[in-house]
Amino acid sequence: MSLPSTAAPPGRRLFTARRLPALLMILIVGILVVAPLLRIVLATLTPGGLEAWQAVLASPMSPNLWWRPLLNTLILGIGVSAGCLLLGGFTAWLVVMTDVPGRRLLGVMHTLPFMIPSFAAALAWGTLFRNSRMGGSSGFFESNGFLIPDWLAWGIVPVLIVLIAHYYSLAFTIIGAALSSVGADLVEAAQMTGARRPRIFFGIVLPVVTPALVSAGSLTLAGAVANFAAPALLGLPVRMQTLSTRLFGMIEIGQAERGFVLALLLIAVSGVFLFLSDRLVSGRRAFVTVTGKGGRTRRFPLGKWRWPLCALGFGLAGLTTVVPVLVLVASSLAPQTGALFSNWTLHFWLGEGGGQIAQGTAGIFRNPVLIGALVNTLKLGVTVALISMVLGLALAHTITRNKGTVLANVLSQLAFLPLLIPSIAFAAAYIALFGAPLGPLPSLYGTFTLLVMAAAAHNLPYAVQAGRSVLGQIATDLEESARLTGAGPLRRMWAIVFPLAIRGLLAGAILVFVKMVRDLSLVVLLFSATSPVLSMVAYRYAAEGFMQFANAITVLILVICLAASLIAQALQARVQKWKE
Amino acid sequence: MLKTLKAALLAAACVPALAAAQDLDQMTPDALYELAKQEGTVTVFSLSSRIARVEKAFEEAYPGVDLVGIDLSSAKQVARVVAEQQAGVHAVDVLYLADAPVVLRDLLAPGRIKTYVPPRVADQIDAEFKAPLLVHRLSTKVLMYNEAAYPDGSPITNLWQLTLPDWRGKVMMVDPTQRGELLDLLTEIALHPDEMAAAYKAQFGTDLAVDSDLTGAGEQFIRNLFLNDLVLVSNSDDLNKAVGIKDATNPPVAFGTYSDRRDNEEEGWALQVANDVVPANGILFPAVLAVADKAPHPAAARLLIDFMFGDDSADGGPAFAPFNVPGDYATRTTIADDPDSVPLEGLKAWTINTEAVAEHRARIADLIITLQ
Repeated sequence: MSLPSTAAPPGRRLFTARRLPALLMILIVGILVVAPLLRIVLATLTPGGLEAWQAVLASPMSPNLWWRPLLNTLILGIGVSAGCLLLGGFTAWLVVMTDVPGRRLLGVMHTLPFMIPSFAAALAWGTLFRNSRMGGSSGFFESNGFLIPDWLAWGIVPVLIVLIAHYYSLAFTIIGAALSSVGADLVEAAQMTGARRPRIFFGIVLPVVTPALVSAGSLTLAGAVANFAAPALLGLPVRMQTLSTRLFGMIEIGQAERGFVLALLLIAVSGVFLFLSDRLVSGRRAFVTVTGKGGRTRRFPLGKWRWPLCALGFGLAGLTTVVPVLVLVASSLAPQTGALFSNWTLHFWLGEGGGQIAQGTAGIFRNPVLIGALVNTLKLGVTVALISMVLGLALAHTITRNKGTVLANVLSQLAFLPLLIPSIAFAAAYIALFGAPLGPLPSLYGTFTLLVMAAAAHNLPYAVQAGRSVLGQIATDLEESARLTGAGPLRRMWAIVFPLAIRGLLAGAILVFVKMVRDLSLVVLLFSATSPVLSMVAYRYAAEGFMQFANAITVLILVICLAASLIAQALQARVQKWKE
Repeated sequence: MLKTLKAALLAAACVPALAAAQDLDQMTPDALYELAKQEGTVTVFSLSSRIARVEKAFEEAYPGVDLVGIDLSSAKQVARVVAEQQAGVHAVDVLYLADAPVVLRDLLAPGRIKTYVPPRVADQIDAEFKAPLLVHRLSTKVLMYNEAAYPDGSPITNLWQLTLPDWRGKVMMVDPTQRGELLDLLTEIALHPDEMAAAYKAQFGTDLAVDSDLTGAGEQFIRNLFLNDLVLVSNSDDLNKAVGIKDATNPPVAFGTYSDRRDNEEEGWALQVANDVVPANGILFPAVLAVADKAPHPAAARLLIDFMFGDDSADGGPAFAPFNVPGDYATRTTIADDPDSVPLEGLKAWTINTEAVAEHRARIADLIITLQ
């Protein structure tokens, strides 16, 4: 395995044992990400595609098709990622590094908002702030005599707020994972030499978690620019369009090339931001904090700030978690979608069919396909999460170990792209690429394998970013010593990297799992089996106008996500026994 | 020489296959059933989840043929079929979808689907619904108002009234750059310049001056409508709530779906169609049934399409029952319209001209984009 590389002729250096994993990674990413992306690029180079480029970039439509949506998208992306870093960083610090009361509960609550679909938060906002622009149905505040101006009810401000409330928990999860690996020894050493608290924070904690901050910033930025539900629900009434609503619309009305052009431009714009943030990280010295020595976490005593900060933490969790969940639950109980808090009934959950309510449709727990859908959903979520996690770890490892090289830069950029490719285009590319038999490989059309492949690739960014933020902190000397004692790459990965990075990896796996159990587009396009997943069942109800049933399924999905994250926390405690 | 020989051979080889397909097209349901039993299954992409109820009825009527129904929106069906056929995969038999103009351009023209008209019901369907695409039923995007707030009938009797200051910010629709049906609606309006010009004169007493960069009164109407602060929303649920809530004062009007009126009682809405509108109150648009190219189960595919047109009773029997919704209209003339809704002949909506809309749709989309 370890041929001395100096003995190899120069031309064959590329294939030395150390480079092999990296090349393998390039191959995998090439197949999973670059190939579908290339297909989209090619689709925009046909005559129709070239026209689309012109229509988007240089025509009387450009301001409304590209420039204004771009501006809105940039404001959202930067605003949301800044807001998320602030809120997510604060809450992560509060939960992981201080002795604030109710830490565990806070920790659970702050992971929830990402599991609640962003449309629920948008719906909650609308329920409270909707104004007379939406005709006969006014929101809670207007019904109680407060006049809500348009800018507060619709447009960029509410979308910003709703998206921050949704995505900050993503930042919380990632930053929290990194903070928990800031060893007590560092902090104690600083305290012993007399450093004051701000000094410790800015001098030790902040630099150590910078990779996590960058990861969280990039993911929330990508999430915000790709989000469709919030800008569609809250932006459209004042004709605010973002690149994502524009590209969705173009594909939906049969002008797919324009949609693809917008998607490519969106990828390019985000690419610039990612490149800059990568420079930010690689321009400074990396701090390794996870070493072979014990990694107890040191908690700051908050003193008199204990209770105020506790209230703040819970208040934030209340606004971002309890309110949307309440609206969601209420909307699965209220017979009239316009009056969420009256005449509650359990019919939509348990009711027998045949009555007057909902044209005789029975409650979701009486739907014979529900159990099957539940099993399918779990199977899909777990499989995809596991595979993305393995793939993400391998990729993140390659990227961090080759840090600063062109290879690492290319890989990290590529691993990020799938988040920005619209899933309808992604799925179409996968069908076209793998639907036909490929050499000795059989056609994967309509199989679970194809769905898992596409889903793993589509969710790769979460796994990679989560893995990177933790791997960046693990000292290389551990691996080096293992290598010297003859451990192969798989062995090193399993015995050293995996246990040390488990928190970050599980965090990533949970994010992937959550994304997957909610996903609809990818599943309906790639999977042919009649046995549905939960999101498809919800879609069926919604398509028939039965929003209550659809919302009941969404609540069910939320419960599953919550259970998954609790299981992950338990698992992590078992693997990292040295922590307690 | 060799080339011609080859071509002749190829043609000869093709003839039986072609003949077989033609045979299938002429067969009675019974004959199709015999073949379908050997095929064993039929796969359908459906825009409506009501396909689950069709599945039950179909499998009861034709035991031995398993119906696999997959819910997919029209845009996704088109994307999937195009991608599949490019990869050489022919897995689906029947498509049931709307967005007819896109279907025409992306599926029918390149030969990815074909139109099959069941001989059993061919005489009972008007010619315009049999070609180029077979239309199963018609849905609506028409002007809806709140009958509780306006008890004397629709406050709008002429489309041009929607461009008056009184209705500024009080006309709603789902964003036509995000939903094909609404784009079709505006395109169809643009395709009736003379009627729109006459309606303008009827409303204002003067002739309409059309802006120099526009063609026709329909396009001018679209521009004026957007300039009058047309409110766009992302889904019909929001729309119905805004227009329909019973105790609303001065609620807006909206281009919505007539059949949503069936939810009035349950949701506490007072949605009603504004039918007495010149020159029209909106559009009727088709839901299309088609056989996919190289369908793996060609006989079962035809049997299913035949089945979905229902039996000879006035409500079409269990096969059509899932689609017999007040405010939607069957194209098969033997199936009676719902007694409580405006009959098809009485509805003042334009039935979209699929081919013309397909031709002009992109141009109208461009116009709308500049207006947003």
